[in-house]
Amino acid sequence: MNATAPQPPDSVSQQAKPAAAPGFRDVSASQAAPAPNPLAHLPIPFQGVDYAAKGYHVEATVAPDQVVAVAEQLDKEGLALDTITGVDWLAEGQMEVVYDYFHPAKALRVVVRTRIPRGQPEIATIQKVYPGANWHERETHDFFGIRFLGHPNLTPFLLPEDADFHPLRKDYAA
Amino acid sequence: MAAQEDNARVLKDCAPHVQFAKLDELLALGRANSLWPLTFGIACCAIEMMAAGASRFDLARFGAEVFRPSPRQADVMIVAGTVNKKMAAAIKTLYDQMPEPKWVIAMGNCAISGGPFVFPGQYAVVEGVDKLFPVDVFIPGCPPRPEALIEGILKLEEKLTGKRRWPIVKPE
Amino acid sequence: MIVEEPSSTTGAPPRETFVINLGPQHPATHGVLRVKMTMDGEYVVRAEPVVGYIHRMQEKMGENRTYAQFLPNTSRIDYLSAMTYTHAFVGAVERAAKLQIPPRVEYIRVITSELNRISSHLVWWGAFLMDLGGFTPMLYAFDDREKILDLLEGITGSRLTYSYYRIGGLYNDVDDAFVQGTREFVKQMRPRLKMYRDLVTDNIIFRKRLIGIGPISKEMCRKYGATGPVIRGSGIPYDVRRVEPYSAYPDFDFVIPTFEEGDSMARYLVHMEEIVQSLRIIEQALDKLPDGPVMAEKVPRVLKLPPGDYCYAVEAARGRFAVRIVSDNKEIPYRVKLRTPCLSNLSLFEEASQGMLLPDALALMGSLDLVIPDIDR
Repeated sequence: MNATAPQPPDSVSQQAKPAAAPGFRDVSASQAAPAPNPLAHLPIPFQGVDYAAKGYHVEATVAPDQVVAVAEQLDKEGLALDTITGVDWLAEGQMEVVYDYFHPAKALRVVVRTRIPRGQPEIATIQKVYPGANWHERETHDFFGIRFLGHPNLTPFLLPEDADFHPLRKDYAA
Repeated sequence: MAAQEDNARVLKDCAPHVQFAKLDELLALGRANSLWPLTFGIACCAIEMMAAGASRFDLARFGAEVFRPSPRQADVMIVAGTVNKKMAAAIKTLYDQMPEPKWVIAMGNCAISGGPFVFPGQYAVVEGVDKLFPVDVFIPGCPPRPEALIEGILKLEEKLTGKRRWPIVKPE
Repeated sequence: MIVEEPSSTTGAPPRETFVINLGPQHPATHGVLRVKMTMDGEYVVRAEPVVGYIHRMQEKMGENRTYAQFLPNTSRIDYLSAMTYTHAFVGAVERAAKLQIPPRVEYIRVITSELNRISSHLVWWGAFLMDLGGFTPMLYAFDDREKILDLLEGITGSRLTYSYYRIGGLYNDVDDAFVQGTREFVKQMRPRLKMYRDLVTDNIIFRKRLIGIGPISKEMCRKYGATGPVIRGSGIPYDVRRVEPYSAYPDFDFVIPTFEEGDSMARYLVHMEEIVQSLRIIEQALDKLPDGPVMAEKVPRVLKLPPGDYCYAVEAARGRFAVRIVSDNKEIPYRVKLRTPCLSNLSLFEEASQGMLLPDALALMGSLDLVIPDIDR
């Protein structure tokens, strides 16, 4: 944490720090052991992540042509689609597509990332596996211009119907 | 002469029961006391508009609780919320569909000037609904309290009739 | 526009369908939602929601605002449960900055979030019944809601879009008037719920409008990522407060109401039961409210998060709301992604409403509990 010139706000009293009551996550404790990976039986390079620090349980970075296979396997595991989004890494010339999944019965948040070249941002759609991806992919296309190959209706979703700009790209100027 | 005195006496006797006024003033009074708003809540201000029409603040006292879903039946369009470029064509159509005489109340900071959603490089928000059509009353706030909406309606009534229904309460 | 479509099953003469627009200005869409409905008489052949009429670029603003400056935006995404949305954002920032939050802050956050949940459900209840044609419950619901708003206005200063939570704690402490007033509110709300049950839930017209209407299966919920009362009304007890516990919720004893039928009545009953459970949580939190500061120590004035991405999910009134912040060690985030429940909940409307009568489709849409700026952001 970059604590430049930390000044305690006025309302903090100068008492000793109260002990964490039972039930509270003690976020200051670091986990000595690596986080477990409940999806280790799948042929996807998942890694366990410290949930208290990051907010999800496992993540994997895969190649763009594997996202549909990953979606099919996670569908068999019973996971639900949370959201799909993109991140524009302008400096690296890549766009990252992030797929979030969650399990409806147990605490399992899965993040699948992939990187595609910024000059030709194309990736297959997972809409046949998860119909809910239809809208998320349309929104990602709206914001970043990522083309989802095989999508039945990649028209503007949140932007006006005649929009031809992609506003969340880092080189977008209104 | 006698006929004139007769007339004067008749008018004086009738004065408590018969009033004369200009038709314009009567029409203005009627319109002001029964402004029918168009149900056009777009965003957060719509909830305060609903609260103004609900039990505690009660727009029915001012004759304005009959929100009409159809613009053909509405007098006043209370634009409550942010107007963005995709919506601008639709809201202009609604304004055009309202029959004259019609008024517009811009409720909330977004309808006045784009509100908290204006920043350099913004691509979606119309900065103020008065860029689309003329506005009669601006009600600032984010969201304005239901009392502020009622004050805006009273201001509109004052604009119509020239008189204010309730005096402005001065804080002590 | 009349389109002739041949009947696919029996080879009967082609039906005529027409396209009608529901919205974007419509009393039953609860915001600016447009649904392009292809109708066969009164039956819905295809209902295609068109959104974007209140797109306010919240995610783009996240890249132009510092962490503290973005707080007012969080209230305006879903203004009816604004506290919970602010909670998710400050939770994500606090998780990334590894701030130790005092217990009093967590308890007050829970109390105010649950009060906000009750007020959101009351608005939903009034508006849903107005869709179905009953105008009276809205007046009762708003009366109760005003009491909650009085309590919250006393501590936050705002009625609808509170920016009460700060990064590291709260704006200010709650006073005795709030604690006493909340206790009284809980005491007088329970008989009101009984009145609502007698007035509405046991009403034969209401039951005929909703029972069996708009069934949504568990599989559909999973495939579309629907959460909140939609998934709990279809038999899956998914609630972020129980599955991924956050804040002070592990301390409290409450039930996740789940109903198996999956129809609009089940979703309605989930909402009403959640109000009961929220009252339970508020009572327990008031009883156990600890003393202490309301701000974490050593919150930096200039907040820069370490590079990486951080998520935080909460159970808002409409479902699972999650914030993902991607940081590159600057004062403003690199990317803020808002995962909103209503987008996923509405995405199944097209599939779920095929072949329904128009009033039933509107009952289904009302039971999904939509707030359109939540979809458009």
